Amino acid sequence: MEGSIGARRARKPFQQHLRELWRQRDLQVMIFPWMLLVIVFAYIPLYGLIIAFQDYRLGDAIGFSRWAGLENFRMFFNSPDFWPIMRNTFAISFLKMLFAFPAPIILALMLNEVRGIKFKRSVQTISYLPYFISWVVVAGLTLDFLKPDGSINSLLMSLNIIDSPIAFMNEAKYFWGVIVVTDIWKGIGWNAIIYIAAIASINPELYQAADIDGAGRMRKVWHITMSGIKPTVVILLILTTGSIIQSSFDQVMLLTNNLQNTLVYERSEILDTHILRVGMRNMRYSYATAAGLFRSFVSVALLLSANFTAKKLSDESLF
Amino acid sequence: MYYRRKMSDWVLDLLIYVLLCVLVIATLYPFMNALAISLNEAADTTRGGITIFPRKFTIENYRTIAQNQALYRGFIVSALRTVIGTFAGVLITGMMAYALSKKSLKGRNIYMTLCVVTMYFSGGLIPYFLLLRSINLLNSFWVYILPNLVNVWNMIIMRTYFKSLPEALEESARIDGASTFKVFFRIILPTSAPIIATIALFCGVFQWNSWFDAAVFVTRRELKPVQSILNEIINSSRFAEEIAKAGPGATRLGRMNVINPRSITMATMIAVIVPIILVYPFIQKYFAKGLMIGSIKD
Repeated sequence: MEGSIGARRARKPFQQHLRELWRQRDLQVMIFPWMLLVIVFAYIPLYGLIIAFQDYRLGDAIGFSRWAGLENFRMFFNSPDFWPIMRNTFAISFLKMLFAFPAPIILALMLNEVRGIKFKRSVQTISYLPYFISWVVVAGLTLDFLKPDGSINSLLMSLNIIDSPIAFMNEAKYFWGVIVVTDIWKGIGWNAIIYIAAIASINPELYQAADIDGAGRMRKVWHITMSGIKPTVVILLILTTGSIIQSSFDQVMLLTNNLQNTLVYERSEILDTHILRVGMRNMRYSYATAAGLFRSFVSVALLLSANFTAKKLSDESLF
Repeated sequence: MYYRRKMSDWVLDLLIYVLLCVLVIATLYPFMNALAISLNEAADTTRGGITIFPRKFTIENYRTIAQNQALYRGFIVSALRTVIGTFAGVLITGMMAYALSKKSLKGRNIYMTLCVVTMYFSGGLIPYFLLLRSINLLNSFWVYILPNLVNVWNMIIMRTYFKSLPEALEESARIDGASTFKVFFRIILPTSAPIIATIALFCGVFQWNSWFDAAVFVTRRELKPVQSILNEIINSSRFAEEIAKAGPGATRLGRMNVINPRSITMATMIAVIVPIILVYPFIQKYFAKGLMIGSIKD
């Protein structure tokens, strides 16, 4: 279909194209500012990736530095930082997929079981408030709560779970947990909205039919609600997988006091913070660009494999 | 409809209500705690134990932060970037979305592809930084505005909305000889209030909450937005408290000017949150449920 239209268009004389373009010049003018910005701020940096394969020095015109082949990548893969960074990046991503991804689905399912409309709406309204609060504030509150004399320690001590306060942000072993919990806290309500909308669009007759068949509540949740929102879950799973390794930058930066907290370094250094550290602070531009390109590559690979797996297993896919 | 509720149903309901209440408390408590601390006397706060009510009420902490010139300037910078960024962003996004919603647009597929590609591929931090440096956007207010005017996701949402508008809406105006711009500004924009409000809210909240661009691309103090100032206060308060614990000199310092970094931090945080709380009712109102759902697969 597309092809045949294209073929017909190709036969149009060039002048006719120009005439059509001129006739819709208003529309084309409307496109212009946006496309200019996209080309400048998205495509010129894409071209700038070329320095990953070069040895960029201050003052060089971009793309005209000495070629370095894959030297920057080799340096990155062989650096002692590489494996700890990969471990941290993937561990945080994995824990987020495991806990932060299902959390809003569970919230949506729970809200669906609530019959008091007012209660339901209040819970929803309150639960997505944190989404609109900046990470600067959320991290600030988190750091305050996790201090040895902070609220979390008081709570845990009054419940007799611990005997003496824990300095959460001084010990690396708690860091991943803090990242995942704050991620859930900030996103659960907002991310549930899309599932709530999906549940609302399920045909209510399905539930009535199940009632007549004498299906229990859990069976209805599983066979009707869950299967009704499955396409939404799969699409979001693919999208999340594609962006997961890039999703922790703000949190890590702000929860480590802009990387000043070195006590948690062994668990906190991820690809994004590493790129900032070596690129912006040590000004190793080519090296950091190579690391950044590797990060994009991993992201796209994750996206494609999630898409492929979803297609194979459930017939749902993004593309 | 006489479904007999079994014991297990009651247990399940109870469990759900309890969990939801825990969620509500866990969401609200940190804010209420911050508010209580910010309204409590600084010296008294160091005794600890403030939960959701101030023990010794005062607005002294807010008086103190009101004297902070950097914070004051930060509010102005943030307000400016929010207003300008939102207004220009909605305008440019709206025009792009409207043009792309027209099947007759020449080059439509090319434009769309160019946009979608940027959702998956980006140059990353360093090439972006080098670009900003080469076009003199470092240490400029416009680094907050120009790159953030384009958000493909928002544009697709708007385009989906414009596509759903009936053709007849603009036909009569066209017969009267109205130009495309006239149709867009006089007919399309006024009938699209809900979507415009939604996108404006997204842009506005994004701008207000941004901190990274200021942290990395801007070093001039007078251009720092309020989030950066808050970030500095949080980070320095960590030091201040460590120093305070380290030596007796610090307690003298504390007694001297009754300023407690924790009280200051909390008061600043509340001040930074207030604008968000003020627009929150609008977020509720304009927030079309399942707005994104239609546009995810498109």
